[in-house]
Amino acid sequence: MNHQIRVMILFTLLALFVSGAALAHDDIVIDFYFPSATANDAEGIFQRYADMFQEENPGITINSVFSGSYTDTRNTILTELQGGGAGPDVAVMLSIDLYSFAEEGYIVPAQTFIDAMADGGAYISDFFPALMANGIDEMGTVWSIPFQRSTPILYYNADLLAEAGYDSPPTNNAELVEIAQALTTDERDGLLVPVAGGFPIWMYQSFAIAYGQNIVSDDPTKVYFNTPEAVAAVEFVRSLGTDLGVGPAGGAAWGDTPVAFLAGQAAMIYHTTGNLSRILDGADFEVGVWYLPSGPAGEDGTGYGSPTGGGNLYIFDDGSKSKEELDAIWKWVLFLSSPEIQSDWGATTGYIASNATAWETEPLASRAMEYAQYGVARDQLQHADKEFSSYATITIQGIINKTLESILTGESEDAQAAMDAAQAQIDGILAEYK
Amino acid sequence: MRAQSPRHSFFSHLQPYLLIAPTLILVLMFNVLPAIKTVTDSLHRPARGLNAAGKAPDYVGLQNFQDLFDESHYMGARFRRAFRNTIVFALATVVIGVPLGLLLALLLNHKQPLRGLWRFAVFYPSLLPLIGAASIWSFIFSDSIGLANAVLKSLGHPGLNWLGDRNLALLSVIIVNIWKQAGYFMIFFLAGLQHIPRDIYESASLDGASDLQQFASLTLPLLRRTLLFVIVISFIFAFQTVEQLQALGEGGPNDSANLLLYLIFQNISERRNWGYVNAMTIVLIGVVLTFTIANFLLFERDEGN
Amino acid sequence: MRQIASVTKTVIAILFLIPLIFTLLVSLRPETEPVTKGNIFFGSELTFENYQRAFVIAPWSLHYINSIIFVAGVLLVQLVTVTGAAYAFARMRFLGRDLLLIVILLQLMIPSGVLLVQNFRMINTLGLFDTRIALMIPYWGSAFGVLLLRQTFREVPIELEEAARIDGANLAQVIRHVYVTNAIPAYLAFALVSVSTHWNEFLWPFIITRSEGIRPLTVGLNKLIKTTDQGAFYGQLMAGTLIVIAPLVILFLLFQRQFVESFARSGIR
Repeated sequence: MNHQIRVMILFTLLALFVSGAALAHDDIVIDFYFPSATANDAEGIFQRYADMFQEENPGITINSVFSGSYTDTRNTILTELQGGGAGPDVAVMLSIDLYSFAEEGYIVPAQTFIDAMADGGAYISDFFPALMANGIDEMGTVWSIPFQRSTPILYYNADLLAEAGYDSPPTNNAELVEIAQALTTDERDGLLVPVAGGFPIWMYQSFAIAYGQNIVSDDPTKVYFNTPEAVAAVEFVRSLGTDLGVGPAGGAAWGDTPVAFLAGQAAMIYHTTGNLSRILDGADFEVGVWYLPSGPAGEDGTGYGSPTGGGNLYIFDDGSKSKEELDAIWKWVLFLSSPEIQSDWGATTGYIASNATAWETEPLASRAMEYAQYGVARDQLQHADKEFSSYATITIQGIINKTLESILTGESEDAQAAMDAAQAQIDGILAEYK
Repeated sequence: MRAQSPRHSFFSHLQPYLLIAPTLILVLMFNVLPAIKTVTDSLHRPARGLNAAGKAPDYVGLQNFQDLFDESHYMGARFRRAFRNTIVFALATVVIGVPLGLLLALLLNHKQPLRGLWRFAVFYPSLLPLIGAASIWSFIFSDSIGLANAVLKSLGHPGLNWLGDRNLALLSVIIVNIWKQAGYFMIFFLAGLQHIPRDIYESASLDGASDLQQFASLTLPLLRRTLLFVIVISFIFAFQTVEQLQALGEGGPNDSANLLLYLIFQNISERRNWGYVNAMTIVLIGVVLTFTIANFLLFERDEGN
Repeated sequence: MRQIASVTKTVIAILFLIPLIFTLLVSLRPETEPVTKGNIFFGSELTFENYQRAFVIAPWSLHYINSIIFVAGVLLVQLVTVTGAAYAFARMRFLGRDLLLIVILLQLMIPSGVLLVQNFRMINTLGLFDTRIALMIPYWGSAFGVLLLRQTFREVPIELEEAARIDGANLAQVIRHVYVTNAIPAYLAFALVSVSTHWNEFLWPFIITRSEGIRPLTVGLNKLIKTTDQGAFYGQLMAGTLIVIAPLVILFLLFQRQFVESFARSGIR
């Protein structure tokens, strides 16, 4: 008897937990998922934004949910939706995740909402065009809105460069190699390009662009991975760790690169602008920031180039949400992409505030005045190109990443052959979408 | 051997079933039925191409499995590596981790000063969340700023790219696993050793048997059951433990340190690959099942003797 | 021989302890001074900065409570389900007994982690997504526990049960007073395995919960690991890791003798 009673108490307790979790709400609740792409207490910052928003919009509650890395965020949301779950209402996901979600019919285009706005045209044209590229499909429909955007950029230890007699950063690959070699010692790497750690494609893309041919175009059924430019680009990256000897063979790990730079163990690094604030705040030397050096395609601007990166705001709806809910969701998206928030977010983290007006808004306006480095990241956008995205993005990106890793670690010595094989697999997959 | 009173009411017939029902239902719900569903799903392939979202999957027979064993296929190449790595990883855990656990148990079984501290030193890793253990080791193995290379460099060695070198990445993951598990295995061996009566050693000593002889002729045979048990659980664990990869290189360059279950986890999100995910799951379950049944038979035979 | 043993012992213990020692040292070192810079053991100063930041990043006390509720909720239900099933398999004869035991043992051979997507669907069908029950329910049945207790129950002399029956005890009383009482070490061992396993669980809680209010410690720790864009913050990560592991490590340090002995008497061998 006794024991039955205890079991009953247990179940009652458990039932209480469940009902507690499902507290009734009259408000419209917006489930907002974000990746912890920043270490500056992203949760605290989002809570502050949510409080500001809720004050302006009584009746709407923002439920912010941390959802891991970008990959974790994408995977948990897909798993949730494919398992029949409700999923988020709004999420920050990589700008390249567009087709993964559009193919499945999980998201709706922002275009619908923009069209319904009185000043929709002005709203969209305030964003930097390069940052819109990944959010627009081949028909010209806007799907997602830039939020925490970035590009790879060159960080250099200006003190070390000056010691070695260089008072300006390298502007092309030849200078890059020269300076890197001059600054390499037993204790220090001349240049770290973080292509190790599971995600070489992004850094690699900047070299492909600098060699004159991005691996992706506006057509999501086409990938250019075995062109002479694509092959030359990967061979150059590989040589940094082998023949040229300015960094570790196989490339540096993503996470360790800024730490090594801050500790003075790397003279120059390629890394994301999303890291600008951490590096500026943490360095005890003068931090220089410059465009990624131009490649053989030329210094007239065509040889510069980096992919864009970072996260956009996506709106989730399978057709079941009411007009009221969707309006509330759009308000939140508008709020997060407003110049005020973009300015605050950009100044706090170093992400490139994505609309022009944000740069004239405080606190970013003063911060950019104080640190010219912020403006460099923004100005590089004029040379930036689309980040890799296609149909079946996850699978194809996987093929490209694995191929790059096998070339960079020396497993596949013949880069052309490995890339031809990869291109054949990719074409096979994309043929299904024609 | 029925111990109940001779009343054979309907209820007393039902009793055993009622007692096992909760466990049975839960196992059916969360292990058996999903596994069966996995088998049928592995024979299907989700619709692909434009507007595939609402379409039903096609029956493809064993095509998914054929693709997995085709090395020129994009998933086949990855599967082959992950499968091989998983076997190497499991064998290394068993071949190195289990003897190490036994050695530790022998060293720390008898009374000695600070025995608790010694045991703590080797057992604490198994108390850490796998993901926490992995994050500690990600710092140790870091190429440019890690502890291992700091030590190597101070000894004049240029350092190793532990997680970034395709020839070292799997070894690094194995080291972490052995460090994490050896103390856990030790606990089982300590338990087993407690069941061996002291006096048999005393008589062996009188007969002039050396420590090594005693170990070979007395300890090892008496620990046989424990040894089998530990081998089985270490093997099963080895197939299930993948969370450390989340913090340790996410499978290494070109899958050189990827494990089967983590490859499955990496691919669950894209619908087009679900056929492969399910087929890989079946292969994984098949290996574990075969191994466990083989051992179970050994156990039972052992018990019969 | 004795000397070889104590040298071996010392070497292994030191190797095993190095990660823990350095976790502590790095957590107390300024973030901008990795071990490769300056003294390998200590930075230029001792600092609690990493702990302060790690504390801000996740609501650790909430995560602690969640982890405790999670492991306790799993264990309490397991104790009930496992006891009943173990008794039935140890002492009762019924049609299909061996077959049903094999079905339950399948749990050991089909890792639930592999069935992530299917189990996720099951939870959704039951309408339990993002609840504490969803976290616990797949673990409420334990084949390991059934196996362990069945073995232990079998070693309880049958005469004890017969005597209790003669005294008029019903089934629940027999199980409680005869079997449970005589299997306390086994229960203890099982509890320790269960608690340490679920305390460490990461993938399932991560997939099945979204609310901070129910997420366990490991999910909080993942936040420190995945500081994606900014790269690694090892000081902060080590501080967070220590925050997560400290309670279990201290508990073990205090109770290791009882722990090992209960294992020894549990019938696991």
